[in-house]
Amino acid sequence: MKSSPYSRDGMKTPTVMRWVLAALLPGYLTQIYFFGWGYGVSMLLLLLTAVLVEAGVLAIRKRPVLETLKDSSALVTAALLAIALPPFLPWWMYVMAGSVAVLFGKQLYGGLGFNPFNPAMIAYALLLVSYPVAMSTSWALPLGLAEPADILTASRIIFLGDPLVQLDALSGATPLDTYKSLAGVELSDGIWQKPIFGEHVALGWEWVAMAFGVGGGLLLLKRIITWHIPVCVILGLSVMAMLFGWDPDRSVPIHLHWLGGSLIVGAFFIATDPVSAPTTTLGKCWFGIGIGVLVYVIRAWGNYPDAVAFAVLLMNFTAPLLDQITQPKTFGHQKPNRTLIKVQVK
Amino acid sequence: MTQRHIELHQFPGGICPPTQKALSTSRPIAYPPLAKQLILPIQQHTGMPGRVLVKVGEQVKKGQMLVDAQLPMSVAVHASTSGIITAIDEHWVPHPSGMKDMCIFLEPDGLDESVEYQGYENYLETNPTKLLECIRASGISGLGGAGFPTDIKLKASKIETLIINGAECEPYISADDMLMRERSEDILQGILILLKLTKADVCLVGIEDDKPQAIFAMKQALEKDKDDDTHRVNIVEVPTRYPSGGEKQLIKILTGKEVPSGKLPASIGVLCQNVGTAYAVHQAVALGRPLVSRITTLAGGALSTPMNLEVPLGTPIGHLLEYTGLHQEQLEQLIIGGPLMGFPVKTTSIPITKISNCILATKQGELSTPEQARPCIRCGYCTDVCPAQLLPQQLYWFSTAQEWQKAESHNLFDCIECGACAYVCPSEIPLVQYYRFAKGEIRQDRAATEKSDRARERFEFRNQRIEREKVARAARRQARANTDTKVLSEKPHAKPMDKQPLRSAGAIGDVESESIQSLLVDEAALEAINKKIRMMEDRVGKARERYEMALSDGLDTASALKRALDKQETKLTTLLSERERMMSHSDPAEGKET
Amino acid sequence: MGKCRVSNNSEPLKIMWNGVWGSNPALVQLLGLCPLLAVTSTVVNALGLGMATLCVLVGSNAAVSLIRNWVQPAIRLPAFVMIIASLVTSVELLMQAYTYDLYLVLGIFIPLIVTNCAILGRAEAYASKNPFFMSILDGFMMGVGFLLVLLVLGAVRELIGQGTLFTDMHLLFGEEAKSWRWEVVPDYPPFLFAILPPGAFVVMGLLIALKNVIDSSLKAKQASNAAPSGSKRVRVTGPVT
Ligand code: SF4
Ligand code: SF4
Repeated sequence: MKSSPYSRDGMKTPTVMRWVLAALLPGYLTQIYFFGWGYGVSMLLLLLTAVLVEAGVLAIRKRPVLETLKDSSALVTAALLAIALPPFLPWWMYVMAGSVAVLFGKQLYGGLGFNPFNPAMIAYALLLVSYPVAMSTSWALPLGLAEPADILTASRIIFLGDPLVQLDALSGATPLDTYKSLAGVELSDGIWQKPIFGEHVALGWEWVAMAFGVGGGLLLLKRIITWHIPVCVILGLSVMAMLFGWDPDRSVPIHLHWLGGSLIVGAFFIATDPVSAPTTTLGKCWFGIGIGVLVYVIRAWGNYPDAVAFAVLLMNFTAPLLDQITQPKTFGHQKPNRTLIKVQVK
Repeated sequence: MTQRHIELHQFPGGICPPTQKALSTSRPIAYPPLAKQLILPIQQHTGMPGRVLVKVGEQVKKGQMLVDAQLPMSVAVHASTSGIITAIDEHWVPHPSGMKDMCIFLEPDGLDESVEYQGYENYLETNPTKLLECIRASGISGLGGAGFPTDIKLKASKIETLIINGAECEPYISADDMLMRERSEDILQGILILLKLTKADVCLVGIEDDKPQAIFAMKQALEKDKDDDTHRVNIVEVPTRYPSGGEKQLIKILTGKEVPSGKLPASIGVLCQNVGTAYAVHQAVALGRPLVSRITTLAGGALSTPMNLEVPLGTPIGHLLEYTGLHQEQLEQLIIGGPLMGFPVKTTSIPITKISNCILATKQGELSTPEQARPCIRCGYCTDVCPAQLLPQQLYWFSTAQEWQKAESHNLFDCIECGACAYVCPSEIPLVQYYRFAKGEIRQDRAATEKSDRARERFEFRNQRIEREKVARAARRQARANTDTKVLSEKPHAKPMDKQPLRSAGAIGDVESESIQSLLVDEAALEAINKKIRMMEDRVGKARERYEMALSDGLDTASALKRALDKQETKLTTLLSERERMMSHSDPAEGKET
Repeated sequence: MGKCRVSNNSEPLKIMWNGVWGSNPALVQLLGLCPLLAVTSTVVNALGLGMATLCVLVGSNAAVSLIRNWVQPAIRLPAFVMIIASLVTSVELLMQAYTYDLYLVLGIFIPLIVTNCAILGRAEAYASKNPFFMSILDGFMMGVGFLLVLLVLGAVRELIGQGTLFTDMHLLFGEEAKSWRWEVVPDYPPFLFAILPPGAFVVMGLLIALKNVIDSSLKAKQASNAAPSGSKRVRVTGPVT
């Protein structure tokens, strides 16, 4: 017999996941508009891989396959990967990323809800560590600098690594990377003249970031996420950028940090992955700030083109601890219980 | 009107489920016909059961006391109508665990003949002790849900604020709402009595703002009866938000104070009573009527005429369902209480008691029935709504991992089991179920350690006593031996016998120590067997609990558990009989003591 | 090992089983992980370090067993460490003399063999209580167990990391071994992750998992036969339930 409560709210886990997918759409479509169908092909590949691998693992683990697939969490992971990865990687890298995310990032820990790290970011970090060159040069050039690849061209590049396609004409480094490598060499006015930055901040990238921001707003409206993590991520990064990167001649200026990379999608969609983030309000704030600070640190003083993945993974480590030391004050108590648990030795 | 402005506060968390109250409030309170049989549980409150005053076959009148309230924490029970006591036996009672308890079975004779009621006409001038006595004798315990004996609650000293809980926040339930609409003047009088008894400075009546008619009725009653006392009474609209009707939550809303964890509201000078209780107090004090009926909401989609009924206590719910037109074929779930905190009904012969505020008969699809629970995704929605500011997902984690210590250190015992967390959980995890289980386990552990501590203490104490006695005996012996030698030395002619008495003294000592020895062996064996029995009892208790839990959850392990239980029980009986045998051998007084 | 004259015939078998599988120093006892993870990026590195460890293990077990009755218990650990350290120094010098390139590659990890708990552990747990030949056998089998794990790890990581097997074998076997290099996957894009230390952790974890899977299926199979249980050592790894 079931016990109380007998009444439930409408939003179920699969629904939550589908809303996340829906909220990714505006940004994703903008991405395709500016950067071409590379993103389309990679998305397809990743979705397929993730679902197949998840189904396979579930079958091996003797779990209900269809029931569990319905929670759509594998789709979210795959979609995040497709959005975060460069669009012109060889196909097997996408397959590898999808499998690693689902298998090593999630299922090996026991499936949805048990993974201490963000599965998509595990796969991303793995690729970044293993194939640094491909990961920093396979970015598509935005509309305006190159003709966005159509499906055929994109598939050729991805599946055949086709020498006929002039890949160099289509791809390049990210604006963040470009600025970083030029800062200190040229003055900021000179750097801004480069075509990749376009008229405003970063050609194409800026619109994509803003579209993802709109999607994030949707999640906020639907109360699927709370504002704490995204706001704190951006805050953390901004404070760091103001403290250390105030000189545009030497370091990447703050608005390029905001709009030139994957910060916005990271803040709203990746860092807010509930499973691997803290659950207390205060914990979320610290978590967000930590990510923001780390993103700046890695972007400014590290060697990797973007830093969201590493920052998120590093902060994932701290989530259980943050949960422990940021417990809210229980109703009727004088002060919150924030000590680490003392293990009683019997 | 001289309404004082009351600043409202907010309690943390909370949810806003659809209230579903309109259906049952569209009709006035009705009086169902008498059932063929009334079943009155001897204990309907939190505390101790009283002494049964009647015998099987006895003819009783309505309002006659069946169970007295002589013991502390006990509450009287009265006959809800006239008739004959047909049995005093175990029966299912409304309790979350679905347990059986002693009940008095009353067969109504249909005359509804009552004893003569004698109230205090001038109750506001009467001696408070007398009023309290009257409340106690009328069998009033909290009608809101917890069922705490009202007179005991009222004895708390230094009350500054009396809070009357008319929030009634749980969906479907409208018993208090209807009571306030129809009998506001009586309630007000009840409130005045409570005010007098508690000597509180102000009284705040908290009513959720989705009950405008109740608020209006209460305000009107107040308007009509303007004097110094009623000046202190304030009707306060509180926002509709579950669980604003929780005692601690309502206190927070109205006063901004938080009841310290593990303490009673009285510790911060607040006393909280339900409107139904206030009404019952008025009935008892002014009219002398004991608590023999209450307002119960019958609601849910499977009923053709959902409404509120004034039900004689002890009426089986089946009778009421029939009266309100239950569509058996549509019925999905039968719940006692509301959809968030209620519990399932085992059989429709379960009686209405003093705390039954609602019977919910839902039709298919009316309440979402969760299918398979999915894994917790740590979304934290539960954290956001928890009125106790707990971390439900952590508690859930600790409960499943059976990490009781951590659960306790995360303040599991501050959970009021309101169900808000489970209500919003997107993975449809029956969180409250886990908390109840964890709490039960922890309580049991605590009881077990306490028991063993006590047993150890007793054992040590006894050892000390034996030691003391030994020493005392040895001293006595020594003294006797000394006198013996002295006597002997005084009698030089008895030289050849010199050693004799000494040896005999020694012999006496030996005999004595031997008897102590045997006593010790006996007692040790007895103690050992007692220990075993205690352990066995523990085990039987645990096994039974597990079995019952499995049974109520419909698990198929139940039969296996049942077998295990039987085995344990046989072991226990063997042990008991063994002890019996041993005790008959040893000194009965000694046996009794251990 | 027929020379061992012991009353209990199953003892040598048990030692072999324990060394290679039952209480394998790397997979079950999780000892000596530091060199294990650091140098197993290729087969040749694994082989070199494995052999060195094996030699030291056999030598130290032999020596400890010989002196076991003459050393005061209070100072036995320093004595063992001295023995191991001198053996390691000898091995290091030998490698410097004969496989200089490999010596350079393995670097600090050769002297670090001294601190390999597997060696001290065997000296303390087995050799200090057992006769000479049995101790040698135990040291040898433990060394083989360690070496095998290193080899598997090295092979897997080399294969995944650079798509080859037996690269650079000349470091150990002389110039003609250069041709042993086997390009399993032609044109393999190097997978840095497998070559870097984190990759070693992951592969190691998978190996342990694999061993546990095999063990539990073996157990299930042999449950009825009441087969001799593998080890008496405390297992520090096991299925997480
Ligand atoms: S609401 Fe449910 S799924 Fe979300 S954190 Fe709480 S228990 Fe987990
Ligand atoms: S049932 Fe307990 S944990 Fe859940 S919301 Fe209510 S008080 Fe919080």
